[in-house]
Amino acid sequence: MAYSEKLIDHYENPRNIGSLDKSSEDVGTGLVGAPACGDVMKLQIKVGADGLIEDAKFKTFGCGSAIASSSLVTEWVKGKTIDEAETIKNTDIAKHLALPPVKIHCSVLAEDAIKAAIADYRAKTAKKAE
Amino acid sequence: MDHFARLGLPAALDLELASLDRAYFALQRQWHPDRFVAKPAAERARASVEAAALNDAYRTLKDPLSRAVYLAELSGVEMPGDGKTIDDPELLMEAMEAREELHDAGSAEAVDALAAKVREDMKASLNGLGSLFLAGDKPAIRKALLRLRYLDKFAEEARARRMNLERSSV
Repeated sequence: MAYSEKLIDHYENPRNIGSLDKSSEDVGTGLVGAPACGDVMKLQIKVGADGLIEDAKFKTFGCGSAIASSSLVTEWVKGKTIDEAETIKNTDIAKHLALPPVKIHCSVLAEDAIKAAIADYRAKTAKKAE
Repeated sequence: MDHFARLGLPAALDLELASLDRAYFALQRQWHPDRFVAKPAAERARASVEAAALNDAYRTLKDPLSRAVYLAELSGVEMPGDGKTIDDPELLMEAMEAREELHDAGSAEAVDALAAKVREDMKASLNGLGSLFLAGDKPAIRKALLRLRYLDKFAEEARARRMNLERSSV
């Protein structure tokens, strides 16, 4: 099975690996897992005062496609509003990386991770507003 | 027919591996393609279906974790399948921290120590499943099995890490 160049590039040179301070109020953290394959993925966003995502980090323990999917998402969300970031679909990720059918679930994991990070950020800001 | 019935064994978590092997090898002989070479096509086809189902049953029941997952599914516990993500922050945090620890383990001894801890943990969790099944506590069974899957994955990754360390030290 041949993997696409984009996929291999993200796997070999993953962007934005690392962690942000999860207790910080402007950081949203999404932690998701695919128990069938034992993968675990953490994706974090830092939202600026202007409402734009100024930084994104990820840490993924899983297969190459899961690493590439989360790496790609961190790259895509930077500079976007959270509403825009929320519209990222797993099908876009799968298409961009040309994921083989058996690896589509890795892109699902990445979509769920960004959604979870956004939900966490929103819950924090809602709490602050109270 | 479920996997237990196919092998003529009681549907239970505890299974004597010797009886599983015995049942499997006897049936495997019975459905072996060599015995059907001269038989009509329909019988040959039936034998190959039976043999495949038998192998599937054996593979599933031999490993204690896959047996437990299978029994849970038979008992109506819904396990997330391929492509389903879970949102269990506690479990995921534990899995993430364990994998980070493994990633940072720089020596074969350190990896072995982590792997030994996880093996103990798995053994204890598998032993604890019996009472959960007896109580029919489906959410608890599901939770325990998901955790076991992550422990199992950890053990697999620890083996791979061990091999890498050995290779790089040569």
